[in-house]
Amino acid sequence: MKILNARLSNFRNHAETEFNFGSHMNVLLGENGMGKTNTLEALSFLCLTKSFYASTDGTVLQRGKTFFEIESTIQSDTGKELRVRVAYDDQQKKKKFTINSADTEKFSSVIGMFPVVILSPENNSITFGSPADRRKFIDLVISQSSTAYVEDMVEYRRILRQRNKILTEARGKDCAADLLPWNEMLVKYGARIIHKRNMFLQEFAPYIAQTYSHIVDERETPKIEYAPTVKVSGDLSLENIIAALETKLQKKKNDELRFQTTLVGPHRDEIIFSLNGMLLKHYASQGQHKTFLVALKAAEFFYLKERCSDTPVFLLDDVFSELDEQRSGKLFSIVESLGQTFITTTSDKMFGGAEWNSHRRKFIIRNGTVAQEATA
Amino acid sequence: MLYTSESIERLVEQFAQLPSIGRKTAQRLAMHVLKMPREEVAAFSKALVDVKDNVRYCTICFNITESDPCSICSSQKRNRAIICVVEEPNDVIAVEKTHEFNGLYHVLGGALSPLDGVSPEDLKVKELLSRLQDDTAEIILALSPNVEGEATTLYLGKLLKPFNIKTTRIARGLPIGSDLEFADEATLTRALEGRVAL
Ligand SMILES: Nc1ncnc2c1ncn2[C@@H]1O[C@H](COP(=O)(O)OP(=O)(O)OP(=O)(O)O)[C@@H](O)[C@H]1O
Ligand SMILES: [Mg+2]
Ligand SMILES: [Zn+2]
Repeated sequence: MKILNARLSNFRNHAETEFNFGSHMNVLLGENGMGKTNTLEALSFLCLTKSFYASTDGTVLQRGKTFFEIESTIQSDTGKELRVRVAYDDQQKKKKFTINSADTEKFSSVIGMFPVVILSPENNSITFGSPADRRKFIDLVISQSSTAYVEDMVEYRRILRQRNKILTEARGKDCAADLLPWNEMLVKYGARIIHKRNMFLQEFAPYIAQTYSHIVDERETPKIEYAPTVKVSGDLSLENIIAALETKLQKKKNDELRFQTTLVGPHRDEIIFSLNGMLLKHYASQGQHKTFLVALKAAEFFYLKERCSDTPVFLLDDVFSELDEQRSGKLFSIVESLGQTFITTTSDKMFGGAEWNSHRRKFIIRNGTVAQEATA
Repeated sequence: MLYTSESIERLVEQFAQLPSIGRKTAQRLAMHVLKMPREEVAAFSKALVDVKDNVRYCTICFNITESDPCSICSSQKRNRAIICVVEEPNDVIAVEKTHEFNGLYHVLGGALSPLDGVSPEDLKVKELLSRLQDDTAEIILALSPNVEGEATTLYLGKLLKPFNIKTTRIARGLPIGSDLEFADEATLTRALEGRVAL
């Protein structure tokens, strides 16, 4: 897919900004605090119905304004053009997502329609941060390639909340009877998610091996391993997972009463990254972390490209500045080979030799406006 | 406050209490009432009070009714061996509209949802069990295709097992997260036809 244009109204520091994007590479150049990341964030709203880092819609609303709007034309790989619009009204606290002037009833149904891969400084937590950060990463990849997974995740979260409510209300007293149907729901949906995550990680492994070897010459072997909430004996078939979840739920019964929360399920999964057999988390250098992350994201791109009906767009926020010259050169050559990309940067040194035309555009961003556009 | 008439203000307050009516709509409705002929307003207010005075719950199936037992429970034309379990009276209307079902109903009064403070004791579950007879041939669980409906289906399935009565649930042909009440007739008909054993 390609984002042909976008109009941002009252979005962060963009009062009214219009972009006509290049079909291939789009460089957003500007000094600190000018509105480059904000532009990527707006594109994230178009693809995912939300920001890739702000937690609430109110945060991105321009201070002092009551509504924001992002409007855009998106072209699919088949050439079909869609008008996509996100509008947020702060007084009603209501967000609307519209495709060709038809309101979308469930935002979750949009996920995967406009596939996107985002690489931003926030993503550092994928390799540095907690298991939750890694789960969030794989969940978004799987969600964009499987509608059923999005539904299962939505329902699983609801089941967790229902079950946790029983555990907190019980205040340590026995509530086994009330838990019974919710145990069964937790196991059923939890098993589906674990099953899917495991399949995904197996499919994903060759992609990451490939992209990593593109960036790094030395023989560094990256590995992703799945450490689900339960030890499953035998293969990770749905039946085996269900059995393991049931056993562990039984074992953790008293602990759950004591801690008043659900201790078993895919919300406790871990995903382990390693390089040459050494845990990334404990042994890798800053540069190795970054390289691993970049390889993950490039792998995400190729994975989604094969599974979604459309080629993803790639948003890169401040990426090149953090890599050494050789690796950023390698990354640049990868980026050149992808579909439509959006790159923010404070220096266009990297793009010095580039020709600017309808495929590659450079936008100079200043105080929430496009100060200059280089197209030819 | 804003209003020059206390009566209008009170009416706006009342309208605004109704589900899915915001303040703006409440104001518009109140202004509309002001313009209605007096007889119409009187008929309207009588209809409101009549609902409260005349409508009660059927003591057998807990559907809403004016005569107890309700017209479905007392009908000789219905197949008394099949009971269709639903969450709300509106769901009875939805299933009736399909003209595909000729048995009896049982209205639970909701679905299990700890977040909303609904546990098994809050539903008409005991009452369902006490309705089961030797000639009860099938129980159809037609609950909403969402997390709460599914948990309730599991719960009832377990509870009904010892009775050795054929228990089925409607097929999940309905879009996830939707209410039975909002399913169109064709979809609901398909779901009823494709019901699966628990
Ligand atoms: N809700 C908001 N309303 C108005 N202005 C906002 C809002 N949120 C952020 N800003 C402004 O947007 C600017 C930050 O924009 P952005 O993060 O896009 O910068 P950037 O160009 O990516 O800079 P850097 O190179 O430092 O990353 C800041 O000046 C900030 O004050
Ligand atoms: Mg930035
Ligand atoms: Zn009745």
